[in-house]
Amino acid sequence: MSLNPKSIYIIAKKEFSDNARNKWIISLILIFLVLTIASSFMAGHGKIGEMELTVSALLSISSMLVPIISIMLGYATISGEAESGALSIVLASPIKRMEVLLGKLLGLGSVICFSILVGFGVSGLVIAATTGHAQWGAYLAFMLLTMLLGLLYLSLAICFSALLKRRVVSLGAGVLIFFWGMIVGMIFAGAFMATGGSIDDFLSGDTSSLPDWFWIEPFFGPQDGYGGAAMLAFGQTEILGFEMILPPWLNIYSITMAQIVWTLVPLVLACILFQKRDM
Amino acid sequence: MNMSESSVVVETRNLTKRFKDVQAVDDLSMKVRKGEIYGFLGPNGAGKSTTIKVIMGLVRPTSGQVFVNGKPTSDHDVEYRRNIGFLPERISFYDNLTPIQTLNFFCELRGADKSIVPSLIKDVGLDSAANRKVGTFSKGMVQLLGVAQAMIGDPSIFILDEPTGGLDARWVKVVRDKLKSLNEKGATIMFSSHILSEVQMLCNKVAVIDKGALVVEDTIENISDHLHIRPRLWIQSSDLKNGLPGWIRSLEGVEDASVKGDSMLITCEPSLRLSILNAIQEKGLKVQDFKTLEPSLEEAFVKLLRDKGGY
Repeated sequence: MSLNPKSIYIIAKKEFSDNARNKWIISLILIFLVLTIASSFMAGHGKIGEMELTVSALLSISSMLVPIISIMLGYATISGEAESGALSIVLASPIKRMEVLLGKLLGLGSVICFSILVGFGVSGLVIAATTGHAQWGAYLAFMLLTMLLGLLYLSLAICFSALLKRRVVSLGAGVLIFFWGMIVGMIFAGAFMATGGSIDDFLSGDTSSLPDWFWIEPFFGPQDGYGGAAMLAFGQTEILGFEMILPPWLNIYSITMAQIVWTLVPLVLACILFQKRDM
Repeated sequence: MNMSESSVVVETRNLTKRFKDVQAVDDLSMKVRKGEIYGFLGPNGAGKSTTIKVIMGLVRPTSGQVFVNGKPTSDHDVEYRRNIGFLPERISFYDNLTPIQTLNFFCELRGADKSIVPSLIKDVGLDSAANRKVGTFSKGMVQLLGVAQAMIGDPSIFILDEPTGGLDARWVKVVRDKLKSLNEKGATIMFSSHILSEVQMLCNKVAVIDKGALVVEDTIENISDHLHIRPRLWIQSSDLKNGLPGWIRSLEGVEDASVKGDSMLITCEPSLRLSILNAIQEKGLKVQDFKTLEPSLEEAFVKLLRDKGGY
């Protein structure tokens, strides 16, 4: 099936300009800017801190905030418009459903990516100018990883939006996929305890006793994977002050691959579900 | 022009759609020919909207096939829709856009020239609200914007689901006149309705469906003859207490008459209503009130289903 790039562009442009018009994009940029600068002050003990310190302070917020923003942008994009009826006229136009779906992903995705680029980018410039020291390579990797996290949750949200009939139900699904990212770490910790592990291993920072399977957790929890990869981008393997000895297969590339899989699988599913859907 | 010889523009062949527990469309085959105004009639829930949605590719059929201009429609070739102006039953636009922004967007989607947007908005009387958000519109205004939207790109086929639903009398007339003038310019129009008089007034071909199945598809003349779906004259008079005066039935043009209490129903050609009314008054019957009664769709359907054997 051949796709028409112009149709995809028209849908993407509408989604982007809708979010520009309702001030979402400028709000997101300001939120990212303020959070980064605030994290930098916190990490720098009242002064602008360096990039590495800033990012490690920022991650705990961005790993929650970015998924929430993506879910908010995407959860109703199919189900909401189908329920109200607005999507019927779009789909009765000479456009393929796949083009509509990709247009929505690209349009909403560029809302997220653009806000991250500007918000974190400007903060990065401020930090570099103030501290006179910059790790641009790692900071850029952090920005790209944040964008990927945004696209990942957007793809998940759109997938549920394509599956579910009603706006409110897809909002519920959005809450669920957010909580999955929050609890997957606890599930792994629980499994570790249940298989004879001890909480002392965490508290003492002695990670040598952790079984190999424990380290696949970042592949299952997108938020944790994102945080881990961003730290690894700065060459950091310390968590809470403890040096972690990671298995060789757990690195920024393998985590990024996992995040890409997390993005593409829901997208393919969304295409299949949307193609079959009765409006 | 002989209708049966002109080309088929929209056709459904053995179309069936089953939702989980509902048979919405049941083996429906029908043909809309070039230049027709094709009325699609049936009670609520008969499957009209589902059929229209299947034709537009919004609902996937369980079995059967839709043909537009002789070509089977498919997901892979959406070009056929460029030539169809479509108005869905439950129309809704984006609340955050103005009518101009809305129509601009749909012009882009259909690959049509945007310069016609202001005139489209004026045509449906929304020019004073052109810069208001659609979210603030009444149901009727949204419906009118929907009609304007269907005109984008000057299509030669129109498929409209209850185009006059939700409109007040003034705009009903505007929309009906618009449909007539589009048809006079050569467009083929298929629209659904549950208002019998509207279908009679506009259409030259009618399909009646019930429970998803075709009851009858024929020219409006044949169906009207068959149904006698003419409006009736209702007359109220205190002189009718003693029943139907014998002379009523012998008045010229009266086909049928009946009395209930102090009111009388007369079936006649619409054009003869006034002369019959005058004749009744000349005979000395004191007419206190009168009106024309539109036959209800239910009445017509009951009769049609009863007479179905004749078809």
